[in-house]
Amino acid sequence: MSHHHEQDDVTVREIPKTRYAAIAWLALVLFLAAMTAWELKMRSLGLRTGDIDDSPSHWAVERRKIEEGDHDGVVIVGSSRILFDTDLSVWKEVTGRTPIQLALPGTSPRPYLRSVAEDTDFAGLVVCDVTPEMFFSKFIGALPQFVGMQDTWRDESPSEKFGHQVDLRLQRAFAFLENEYSLFRLIERIVVEDDRLGPDGPYYDVWKLSVASENRQYFLWNRVEQPGYLQEHARAAWGPFGNERPPLPKDMIDAAIADVAESVRKIRARGGEVVFIRPPSAGPFLERENRNAPRTATWDRLLRETGAFGIHYEDYAAMRGLEVPEWSHLSRNSAARFTRAYVGVLRERYVRLRTPPVAEPAG
Amino acid sequence: MVFNSLTFLVFFALVLVLHRLPFPWTAKKFNLLVASYVFYAAWNPPFILLLWASTVVDWYIARGIYASRDKSRAVRRSWLVVSVAVNIGFIGFFKYGEFLLQNWQALMQSVGVVWVAPEWDIVLPVGISFYTFVTLSYTLDVYLGRSKPIGKFLDYALFVTFFPHLVAGPIVRPTQLVPQFETPKQASRDAMLWGLGLIVLGLFEKVVLADGGLANAADKVFAATEPVGFVDAWLGTLAFSGQIFCDFAGYSTIAVGTALCLGFGLPDNFRMPYAAIGFSDFWRRWHISLSTWLRDYLYIPLGGNRGTELRTYVNLMLTMLLGGLWHGASWTFVAWGGLHGLYLAGERWVRAKTGVTGDPAGLPNRLALALLTYALVNVTWVFFRAESFGGAARILEGMAGLAPEAKPILATMFVVKVAAIVTAIVVTQWLMRNRSLEDLVARTPWWVTAVVCAAMLFAVTITQGSGQAFIYFQF
Repeated sequence: MSHHHEQDDVTVREIPKTRYAAIAWLALVLFLAAMTAWELKMRSLGLRTGDIDDSPSHWAVERRKIEEGDHDGVVIVGSSRILFDTDLSVWKEVTGRTPIQLALPGTSPRPYLRSVAEDTDFAGLVVCDVTPEMFFSKFIGALPQFVGMQDTWRDESPSEKFGHQVDLRLQRAFAFLENEYSLFRLIERIVVEDDRLGPDGPYYDVWKLSVASENRQYFLWNRVEQPGYLQEHARAAWGPFGNERPPLPKDMIDAAIADVAESVRKIRARGGEVVFIRPPSAGPFLERENRNAPRTATWDRLLRETGAFGIHYEDYAAMRGLEVPEWSHLSRNSAARFTRAYVGVLRERYVRLRTPPVAEPAG
Repeated sequence: MVFNSLTFLVFFALVLVLHRLPFPWTAKKFNLLVASYVFYAAWNPPFILLLWASTVVDWYIARGIYASRDKSRAVRRSWLVVSVAVNIGFIGFFKYGEFLLQNWQALMQSVGVVWVAPEWDIVLPVGISFYTFVTLSYTLDVYLGRSKPIGKFLDYALFVTFFPHLVAGPIVRPTQLVPQFETPKQASRDAMLWGLGLIVLGLFEKVVLADGGLANAADKVFAATEPVGFVDAWLGTLAFSGQIFCDFAGYSTIAVGTALCLGFGLPDNFRMPYAAIGFSDFWRRWHISLSTWLRDYLYIPLGGNRGTELRTYVNLMLTMLLGGLWHGASWTFVAWGGLHGLYLAGERWVRAKTGVTGDPAGLPNRLALALLTYALVNVTWVFFRAESFGGAARILEGMAGLAPEAKPILATMFVVKVAAIVTAIVVTQWLMRNRSLEDLVARTPWWVTAVVCAAMLFAVTITQGSGQAFIYFQF
């Protein structure tokens, strides 16, 4: 038997007859017109060029500085609070050092602290954010765009590295390139009456909160800083604030502290140091934190059981009374004041911050 | 590198320019070969060595087989065994090593021997299943006397490595591609623009429909650890059915488009599979280059339908089970293939009993059978997507309505989004069932085509895909 199949023949593709040049020109004009309109619309919504989206490749650039640095620098790990509330230029001004900023929104710092302890020989100062409900929970968080973050910096392919460089250039030129304003993010957030998920629906997700420059300097987005719809939404997204969420169970807090204590011990054993910082929060968010993760059961124990130094914003006059527009992050002005205050405390305590760095890490 | 990355856009622009410069034909082919190696190495440079090894081994073996064509079958067969051993050895080590060890461990434990498999930390070389099948088809064709060895090593190496098909197909045959390298090729203006149009269409399928529209709904449902309700189970599975089609058909369309821009033709890999009536029809429309490969190099050599009825059923099942395993080192893939084998065998049995050949008469009958086919194909996708049999069972229970108390997983907007996109995909495929895209475009007013192209490109751009890998890269 011998059937003839198309696999036996040279592939010749049919090119349909149509007016290609006319199609190409019209499609190009329409595309450019639509893109121009979209870009203008996005700018009118407050998006700006040079506001850099985070991604595994972008974070990897910062992470690799640990290996490239002088090992006497400063590394920040944490969630969004220490990320938005730290002004890196104030660090530079006061200490001559620009910290390696590794904090990630919506993510527990514990795996990252452990990675610094176990995967590096870093012997400088690690500043670790404590956002109580995140830090002492068993949930590591990690937003979908950050999955694999811990591996990418090591395994990043040449193609990804190159693509990141192209991406940075595009983000410097176009404001519409913003993860939180991608087509389907916008569609999924259309408000739906009687959503199947009720208050867990995507409308109540956290939306765009911050702007970021290339060295991962984050600040609260000015549209969220100002009173209005986006600020109200941001506040609502941190809910619910009633008793729907139970307090963190003691065994979960025990496990979190034991995990951190091990990391602190390893970093100290090689001459490094870890300090914990509890940045400000406000309003119903703060009330829920005080109820679900009270200071005595979490913060005080953390310092006692790790033997580490910590800065709780409540204990310093200069860190109280700052602006917390959406109850979780400081305004840009307050971030500078908060940074100056906590870096001042650290500088008093750590001699190494009073001497100039041996060599500033590249970048 | 992946087609939906900024790196590829830059790479492809450079390759196009290079290919249109006035170099001699051999130099152009050499450029394409080097570009293809760069394309592969941009993912993980050391694995280029595997690709070279596979290329060189099969080059010499095919010549060895051909040189011994007048000798005994045993001599030729021993050459072939070396080729199969090397190729299957590579793929067995990198892709199935851990799977084999784990199953050996389980087997030993079941007979009371405690043995713990060593830690297996081997990265799967991207596309190994595809280029292994390409090189194997070459030696097999020479062995079976279907073709002679390729005359020039450059043409052969380019056939194996040509970047549009290298990492996820279509799995080309020597007969389809190698003769195209013999004479100078340059795309005409129309072919170039048609190729670019196909690239835009493929990116639209991948970036907008698969990644933007469907992936997160499928991910949410298949990640569930609690019982899944009827609506969520079906929508999650339908979303995956749309995602895997748009992901893979999108890849194949981009592959065809990029090759066309360079002046080469690659075969179709998909022809409206969700409009299939019955399963043999489905496999003539889904991943055509794999199904024909399995037919020509596995099913027919096993005896095909030339033996007894029973033997035909056995051959069908074996082919589909191995086809399932080709996709991944997991029993869930074997179950996926086995289910398709059962469907094909069942259809064959029904056709033999009823004497019905071809499609049934009447639109309602055809439509009903097409929907039944699609629904049953969706059941197989559950095994393909689920990471364990427990996960698959959870979804299947939901689809059967056995978890009425389950909490909703997908928000209303996700339900609307998935329902709209999947319906659009299935209706489009039904309307295009017996037509080609080329035919449609030739009959559509030019300005409509322009508006559709611009809309797709606009959607791709504002979806801002982050270069997610294609699903089939892991196979």
